[in-house]
Amino acid sequence: MDFKDIIFKVIISLLALFYFFYALVISKQVKVMDKVLQDKYNWFILFVASLQVTASLVILIIVLLAVFIV
Amino acid sequence: MENNNKKSSVFYSYNLNPQINFDTHAEGERIILSLRSHPFTQIGWILNSIFLFVFIFVLNFFIQNFFNLIQIFIFNIFAVVFILSYIWISFLGWYFNVGIVTNKRVIDIDLHAVIYKEISDAQLGKIEDITIKSGGYLQSLFDYGSIFIQTAGAAVNIEFNSVPHPSDAVQLINKLIGKKHGF
Repeated sequence: MDFKDIIFKVIISLLALFYFFYALVISKQVKVMDKVLQDKYNWFILFVASLQVTASLVILIIVLLAVFIV
Repeated sequence: MENNNKKSSVFYSYNLNPQINFDTHAEGERIILSLRSHPFTQIGWILNSIFLFVFIFVLNFFIQNFFNLIQIFIFNIFAVVFILSYIWISFLGWYFNVGIVTNKRVIDIDLHAVIYKEISDAQLGKIEDITIKSGGYLQSLFDYGSIFIQTAGAAVNIEFNSVPHPSDAVQLINKLIGKKHGF
């Protein structure tokens, strides 16, 4: 494994982890705003927020697989 | 109020008698108008997103020589995720920045950068001055502008930025103030 590969793996691992926490924060904030303002389209906003958390988790798993297996 | 009834929902940014609620909603308080920024003011982030998608697509032709297939795949995942997050944050910034006019007060709900929220309100009886700022070709063409509501004393001032039909909204608020004072 060369130096470029190691740097790449470290960066993508950190990015994936950061994105996962970021998605959690956004999701939490959307839930807070849903209580502040109840609108008829809030179900869609909450759905997308939870979709983002799921996607961030999937990305984290893909990245960890790429880092440790490939 | 008759001419206000004609105008409702410019892509959900000007709504008369909206079906919404908010956490500090008092009993007997009726929501009359909800305002969001005019959709045209959102064109900036929409164009940026399109540009970023095109940029990533073009960039793929250049990075093929430097990275292997898995690295390019992961790079693309992150690039797409970054752009989608940018779109999502910008949309939330629009969706949760709402001005509400009720029969008792005006409320300004602001969400900055998704993390900071600010909610201010002013009782109709405490409103002293309402100013509309609308200038330029686009604001005249699409009929949008900002409303500044000054309140008496140390109470906070309210701002509704780039909302559609600002004159109609101010007319409606003035009527409500008039009713409050018994005119």
